Amino acid sequence: MTPRRPARRPPAVLLVAPLLVVLATPLLGGHRSAGAQSEAASGAEAGGQVEAEQTYLADCASCHGADGRGTNRGPTLVSVGKASTYYYLSTGRMPIEEPNAKIDRADPAYSPELIEALVEYVDGFGGGGPDLPHLAPEEADLGKGGRVYRAQCASCHTTAGGGGALLRQEAPPVYHATPAETAAAIRVGPGTMPAFGEAALTDEELNDVVAYVEYLSSPQDRGGQPLWHLGPLIEGLVGWVVGMGLLVLLALWIGKPT
Amino acid sequence: MTGDDRQADVTGDDRQADVVGDDAEADVTGDDRNAERMAAGGFAVCVVAALALALVYRRGGQPQLEGALLAVALGGLGFGLVTWARRVLPHQEEFEDRETLPTTDEERRQVHDTVGADEVIARRPLLIRMLGAAVGALGVAALFPIRSLGPHPGNTLERTPWERGRRLVNAEGHPVRAADIPLDGLVTVFPEGEVGSSDGQAVLIRVGRGLIKAVPAREDWAPEGLIAFSKVCTHAGCPVGLYQADVHQLLCPCHQSAFDVLRAAQPVFGPAARPLPQLPLNIDAEGFLTAGGDFSAPVGPAWWARR
Repeated sequence: MTPRRPARRPPAVLLVAPLLVVLATPLLGGHRSAGAQSEAASGAEAGGQVEAEQTYLADCASCHGADGRGTNRGPTLVSVGKASTYYYLSTGRMPIEEPNAKIDRADPAYSPELIEALVEYVDGFGGGGPDLPHLAPEEADLGKGGRVYRAQCASCHTTAGGGGALLRQEAPPVYHATPAETAAAIRVGPGTMPAFGEAALTDEELNDVVAYVEYLSSPQDRGGQPLWHLGPLIEGLVGWVVGMGLLVLLALWIGKPT
Repeated sequence: MTGDDRQADVTGDDRQADVVGDDAEADVTGDDRNAERMAAGGFAVCVVAALALALVYRRGGQPQLEGALLAVALGGLGFGLVTWARRVLPHQEEFEDRETLPTTDEERRQVHDTVGADEVIARRPLLIRMLGAAVGALGVAALFPIRSLGPHPGNTLERTPWERGRRLVNAEGHPVRAADIPLDGLVTVFPEGEVGSSDGQAVLIRVGRGLIKAVPAREDWAPEGLIAFSKVCTHAGCPVGLYQADVHQLLCPCHQSAFDVLRAAQPVFGPAARPLPQLPLNIDAEGFLTAGGDFSAPVGPAWWARR
């Protein structure tokens, strides 16, 4: 296998890529549903697929293999599903510099158009796997989404969505992902996260819970001061300081000499 | 001591008694009456709240309401006692020189007249009765939980609603189809018709084929890599809902007990000492998952007859 990133590659590309991302970011908003991406891809297919193949061979093939069947440095991409490829590329978790690097969220390395083309290209290795979920935010039921979230997501990502500790690992906060990325992650189960298929939640419930995750980024705290959503530890601290303070005042009142 | 001394003492005591009597008289007429009513009111609040607590408990219970009522009851009792101590009881210190023994008939008569007639002693029945009622009502409320000690649980701790052929359903009550669970997929399942069952809840996971290290007598319990375990932690009964798919470990959020899914949920970290009970699985002709029987062991933490 060839080295992953050939030395002749001009570093200017790396500098331009984030700029492209910044320019393209508005296009990634909620009005553009993930389902519409395949249609858009077909329009630019001719040029896009060539670029996608070149990008794949340059950036992905050294670990996942030129035929997508994986190597000892990376897993197979055959039948992983469009949602999986989309999730890893769109959240910038792939590509990584070297096989053992920590896989974290980053700015995506490619433009949305190139990501669409890459999703199609990788799907060509073998279909199957979870497809890009279709989202309809206007039809979502926040209440039902909240129930699904608390039942299936909150145990790791916490009730407020701030992420939480696992054993030697961590569940990231849910705030940064776009609706399409959230939906893809639920169906795919990237990394440590388990996959949630039709048996766990229907497409309708998926739509609801994605809307609820969006809502969690700026929730309406009807219960009053949320204490920065820092969780039970802070609430407990405030409870102790304020509550114990009141009790001390009460004790002083009881013991005050007349 | 001489007779004159005794006479002097008696007059001294008389003076002292007069002073106390005057003070008490003044208190009784004014502020003291209000204070007594306040203390009695506190006890009355305690009575009402304690009886309400007993009623709420009797009708099935509601923890927040019960807690609030108990707080009001104890608060009323405390308020009454503190008010009584601070505002009803006299605060001036009393001195009495040591007397000679025995007391004279004259002194006995005076004491009898004073104690027998004085309102200061006789006026307390209201507070005493109210205090008795308050403590009695709380005692009655505390008697109700005794009913909850029975009946004997029998062998209900050792079995769950799972039985051979019973379908697995998700939290919405829909039967779970094997094909709807992707690789590394996670679903919380219940026995059909028992959604929400606390001892029947289980986590259903699909792992890659061939990864499971089957223990003897459980070789066919995990068809197609689908494997299910009780969701109730064997340490303290928390829901073991966190699944780290890449290392195939179920993690309990309460005390970080970790269970190795591939090795029959043996504990690999944390305080849990016993593996999660496994649920034998079958796939029926229509592709739905069914149970092959009850869990491999009683679910949940240890109890008095089980360690």
